This record gives sequence, C-alpha cells and structure tokens, in this order.
Amino acid sequence: MAGMGEEEDLITEEDPLTGQGDGSARARRSPCSDPAHWLHRIVVLVFMCFLGFGSYFCYDNPAALQTQVIQDMKLNTSGFMQLYAWYSWPNVVLCFLGGFLLDRVFGIRLGTIIFASFVFVGQIIFASGALFNRFWLMEAGRFVFGIGGESLAVAQNTYAVNWFKGKELNLVFGLQLSMARLGSTVNMNIMGWVYDRIKDLMGSAGPTTLGIALMIGATTCLFSLACALVLGFLDRRAERILKKEQGKTGEVIKLTDVKDFPLQLWLIFIICVCYYVAIFPFIGLGQVFFIEKFDFSPAEARAINSVVYIISAPASPVLGFMVDRTGKNVLWVACAILATLAAHMMLAFTFWNPWIAMSLMGLAYSLLACALWPMVSFVVPEHQLGTAYGFMQSIQNLGLALIAMAAGAILDNRGYLFLEVFFCACICSECYLSS
Amino acid sequence: MDIGLVQSSTFILCLLIHCTSGLTGDEDDYRRKVSMELNPGQSEPSSGVDVVHVRAVGSDDTLHFLFCNHRAPALMLVHTNSSFSNVHINWTAFLNGNYSGSLKVVPESSVQFSSALVFTRLWEYDDVNDTADPEHLPPSSFFPSYELQDFSWNIRNATYNLTTHTATLCGRNSSNSFMNGFLCLAFSAFESRGRDSEWPGLLHNANSSQLHVWLDNVIPRSNQSRFILEVQSVSSAEQKGQVDVLKSIDDEYTPSIFKVSQWVSSPSNASSEILGYTQWKPVAYRTEHPKFEDATPCRHSDPVLVSELPPSGWVQALFRDGLQTSTLNITFSIAGDPFYNTTNYLSWSVLVGLGNPPQDSFSPLVLTIMAVGLGTPLALILFGGVGAGIFKRNQHPQGYEPIN
Repeated sequence: MAGMGEEEDLITEEDPLTGQGDGSARARRSPCSDPAHWLHRIVVLVFMCFLGFGSYFCYDNPAALQTQVIQDMKLNTSGFMQLYAWYSWPNVVLCFLGGFLLDRVFGIRLGTIIFASFVFVGQIIFASGALFNRFWLMEAGRFVFGIGGESLAVAQNTYAVNWFKGKELNLVFGLQLSMARLGSTVNMNIMGWVYDRIKDLMGSAGPTTLGIALMIGATTCLFSLACALVLGFLDRRAERILKKEQGKTGEVIKLTDVKDFPLQLWLIFIICVCYYVAIFPFIGLGQVFFIEKFDFSPAEARAINSVVYIISAPASPVLGFMVDRTGKNVLWVACAILATLAAHMMLAFTFWNPWIAMSLMGLAYSLLACALWPMVSFVVPEHQLGTAYGFMQSIQNLGLALIAMAAGAILDNRGYLFLEVFFCACICSECYLSS
Repeated sequence: MDIGLVQSSTFILCLLIHCTSGLTGDEDDYRRKVSMELNPGQSEPSSGVDVVHVRAVGSDDTLHFLFCNHRAPALMLVHTNSSFSNVHINWTAFLNGNYSGSLKVVPESSVQFSSALVFTRLWEYDDVNDTADPEHLPPSSFFPSYELQDFSWNIRNATYNLTTHTATLCGRNSSNSFMNGFLCLAFSAFESRGRDSEWPGLLHNANSSQLHVWLDNVIPRSNQSRFILEVQSVSSAEQKGQVDVLKSIDDEYTPSIFKVSQWVSSPSNASSEILGYTQWKPVAYRTEHPKFEDATPCRHSDPVLVSELPPSGWVQALFRDGLQTSTLNITFSIAGDPFYNTTNYLSWSVLVGLGNPPQDSFSPLVLTIMAVGLGTPLALILFGGVGAGIFKRNQHPQGYEPIN
C-alpha cells in the first residue's frame, strides 16, 4: 500500500517468460475473461466490493434492531452493548496477526475465504443464539464474527493493491469504503422492516422472530463468502495466466518497533480512539435516543441513524481529494473534531432538527478518516508502517470494546444527556491533544 | 467554526443561567416545619375511615395536606395565610353521611387556595392488536371498570411514619383479580427541596407532596390487558383546560424521558399566575426497583369537566357544591410495549403542590464536566483565534518591497 506506489501497472507488464505462444493465447481470450483487460478487472472489482458488504451489513445488526434485541432477549443496555464489545475484543490482538496470517500462513486467497467463513459462521451462531434464546451464544457469535470481520477488510485491501495500482488505487479504496457504508445503510433501513414482516408471519415478537431475522441477515454473509470463493478462483486463474505472484499485504509487524514510536504518533493514536468511541457506540445506541427525545417513529429513527454512513459514502472520496490537494492534515483533523463536538452538543442541549447534527457528524467522520490515517505515514518510517497501523487498529478496537460497555452502563443509570456529555468530554480531550 | 462559536456561546449562557438559578433559587430552598397526625379530633376507635393530616408550617403560612380513604382515595391541599390554622372535623356528622361542612380549616377566612386530586376508576382493556390506543377501541374491548370508591382501603401500619412523613394506603375489592393484589398509594410530605431516590426521581420542594401509585399482583382479565387510571381534580381556582407538556433536554434523573406534564390552577382573572399544580413525568415503571428497560411511557387525555364533585366523602366535606370538577385519564404503555402480565406490576408517581411547579436542572457533576471539558478548549480557540488574527494583521504585506 504505502510502499508500493510504483508507476507501472504490474499486471500489464510484459512477462519475459511467457514468450510468443502465451501472447497469442492471451489474444484469443474475450475481454471479460482476460485478466489483463480492464473489463475483467472491473468484474473483479465488483466481487471485491461485495466481499465486505456482508460483514458491514451484519456488524450493525444490533443497532438496527436495538429495541427488539433488548425486549426479546430481556437485556439492559449494558448487556446489549456487549454485542459490540465482543466484536472488538478479538481484533485487539488480530490487527497485529492479520497481515502475518495472510502473508505467511494462509496466503491471500485461502485467508480471505477463511475469514469470510468466520464472518458467515459467526453470524449464524449469533442468529442461533437468538433462536435458542441463549444470550451467551449470541455473544460467542459476535466474537467469531469479529475474528473474521476486521481481517477480511485487510484481505480486501490486499486484493485491491494486487489488482490495481497507482491512481486507480485511491478510487478503488474509495469504492470499497463506499460499498462498506452502503452495507451499513441498507442494514439500518431494512432490518427493522424484515423483523416486522416476520413478526406478522409468526404472530408475535420473541427470540425466535429475532433469530429468523438475523438468519436472513446471514444470507449477506453467505453472499460475501461466495464472492470470496469467486475472487480466489479468479486470482488463481490470473496468477496462472499472467504468472504473477500471490498478493501480499506488505505489512511487516515487529512489536519491538513500538518503543520507537514518536510522541506525535501516540497523540494520533489517542485522537483516533477518542474520536471513534464517540461515534460508533453513539450510533449503536442512537435509535432509541431519536425515538424518545425527538419523537421520531422507529423507521425514521433508523433512517437518521444511518445518515452518518450514507453521507460518508460519497463524501469520503471528495474530502480525500480535498485533503490531498491542500495537505493541511492537522487542520482538517481539528475541524473534524470541532464539527463532531458541535454535533453532539446540538443533540444533547437542543431540540433542533437532528438531521442537521447527524449530517454534520457524517461529514466530520469522513473528513477525519481522510485526514488522520495518512498522517501516520508522515510521522513514521516506511518499515514501521505496518506495525503502526496494526497498533492503531488494535487500540481502536480496545477503546471501542471498553467504551461500548461503559456507554451501555452510563445509559442504564444516568440517561442520554449524561451519555452525550460523556461523548463531548471525550472529544474535548482531543481538542487539547490536537492543539 | 462560526456556527460552533455561536452555539457554544449560547450554551455557555444557558450554563450560567442554570448555575445562578441554582444558587439563588429562593423559592425552592424554602423550608417548612412538617407534622403529621392520623384522624385529628377523633375520640372513638377507628371506624375504617382514615384521614392523614399533615401540617407544613412556613414563616407566615400553612399548607395542609389531607390524605384520605373514604370511598375514592384523595389527596387534598389547603393553603392558609396564617401559621396557626388547623383542621376541624365533625366526626359525628361525617360518619352519619352528612359530609357537607363536616371538614373545615379554621380560621376559614385565612384559606387562600384549596385543591383535591381524587383517584376514581381503574379501567382495564384487552389490547388485541397491540395498539395501546383505547380511544379507538370498541367498548367491547373494555372490561367492567374497577370503581375505586367501592374498594376497601386501609393504611398499612408499617408504612405510617411520623418522622419521614409518609403513609401508604392500600385497597382491594372482593373480585378474584384482587385476591392477592392491591392498588396502593404512598403519600410523602417534604420539609425542603429534594429528589426521590427511585425513578422517576421527581424534584420536590417544601410546597409539594408526592403520591406514588402502584398496581401490584393484580390478576389481569386477559393476556393482553393494559390499564387506564382515571383521576378527578377539584380546585378553588380555575384549572387549566389542558395539561402542559414541557420539553427538557435533561433526562439524568429519569433516563430517556425528556418531557414533564403539568396541570395548573390559576386565579380566574390572572391566568399567568399559578396557584397550584399537579405534575408528573409521562412514564410508568413495570417493576418495583426499575431499571432502564422497565420504563413504559404513559399518555394523558385532555381534561373534561364533570358536573358533580368526586365520589370521596372528604372532598365533599371540604368543597362546596358548584365548584368545577375536571377529570382526565392516564393511559399506560404504548404499542409494542410488554403487557401488564409480564411483571404484574405497574407504578406511576405524581406531585401535588402549591405555587409554581419545580423545574429540573443539571446536576453538579454534569455542570462540572461541561465547564471543565468545554470551557477550556473554547477559551483556547478564542484566544488562539484572536492571537492568530492579530499576528496576521501585523504580518500584512506592505506592498512592493524595493529590490535593493
């Protein structure tokens, strides 16, 4: 990724070993089945984008069905947030190991299929936990799902780097991110409707209804698994035809590098954690907030909860372009932090239309992602980038796991205002750091 | 950035207002000396008719609370401008059924304001379609109502407490549903400002009293039963024709509830002045020590005038005929919420008092976090912005500089 910004496109390079015979063989293939042709690569791109769709769709299933999960499984909010905490726990460790596993142990193709299977199996276990009315099984399902989810993203990026190079890569990353956000949005807006239809069919709400709805959600994971298989097949075929190597993540994780990290990098880590913990747990708990405070209907509340994702889908490429051109990353990070603070304050202290606040939050979230992650590469030498990114992901997941549980506990005892003030305080602490 | 500054300054202004009102809230810091007695002036042993009389004496006025159980349970409030007023009950006349005039607050000329809140009926309906919308259900969905005036009430001995000024009244009728169940009302009077420890954590002051109403272990008559409580109110002043629902951003003390309902009485010629109020948060709870998920919203209907005084002997003893009585219904639960039979428990709290209803404000913890957390970065930004502006102005290019 960072270290592979070559000018030429590897795939279209003439391989000196093929000779004349293969060249004519290649010429006989139709554009769609010719791995070197752009049409074929678009087909591969489509499968690559949908690879992550299932994982992002199912990640926010609890948020889309918050009231139903709490009522059917008889939980309180802290229990509900455990579903998010358990997703994050395996990734505290896996972010370091993911690249290593993909490069050395499994290879990209097998690794992707394995992680996609984890995602699918995890969601099935999660749904079964609901069907059999066993909450511990649901938590276990989220754990398994978590093992697959984040590593699948690493695999997706690796495929992208392998098939696309140079200027195309930014566009591909942007598209993949947009597809991910699309998955989240579709989930937010559809799962509630799916649950209601099943409730009508079954006649009543209950763990079984929830389980069936979640099983239906698992079909997206099956679809992602299918994409992983197809991608594996296409990649192997391309390797055979073009004689290119299996892609590698390029990450070199050396834990001893951690002691060399400069202070600015630690500040970036803390900003990253403090920021994302004020966004994702809020979205996780947002539906009931909008229903209670702003008198939204459940469908409207789900829609507004998904606004952050809907906006970041088109905004990420645009804002990324802007940040690339102007270059003042620190300034943009500060802007994003202030905008999110303003959004949380609007939601906490006023009754103004929450669409404004959530749209602002969506823009700020996209801006921060575009501005913050590249900053790591400015601050850290290239051979330590893998470790730095792995560490950043790891701390982010640790923070999310802990804060998810804390947010649930705060809400149970002190209500939404206190929770919002807590989020504002997290963001304010970043203001100190970014200045 | 500009929007953020405007919002922040508005917010800081609100903070300051809250702080100062918290510091100088003189009406809410008012203290009263509270004393409680049971059945004042009764010489014979208890005849099953009880009235708890609470005298809350201020510097130059007295607030009398009468919590009584003859027929429909009622809470009455009488405000006098003398610190020596007292109640006088003609027990013989009352027990013979001559209610009118048997309860007086003397001296009668000192009485400024009086009101009563009476609990008259408990409705139960079968919510087949889970809509929690009884106004649009056919009459066949409704079971025969429980007339609270026909219940037999007694004050539980253990809960009649002279030090904490509390008393609990529990009643049941002879039907099977109430075999092991009760409808209870717990009354509390207060000496000064404070807040209930259990949710909904209503804020009270020395001019208020609280009633906590709960339905415990009653056997519902269908699997999808929901309840409605009918209350009636009489006042010597004019009661507003509607209940005001105030929105608040603060849900610290009642998580996820951002509204307060209040029903006020004002003099007929000055509707901006408030003489008395009934205040509640539109939430009921499904367990005795509720958690976040045990909350269920409740709605109220608009007050409707009725022609007769409420069916409570003591209310008819104190109030003369001809005063306006209003009635309204509190409907519990909304569509999709669990039914009564999931926990067989439902509770609701209401505040009845004199003067302006208490207003919630931020807790000191929240204020501290906000002041420290938000104030410092804002100051940094302000000074940073001003400093940068000055710096830039000093750096303003002078135009062409000579080459040599």
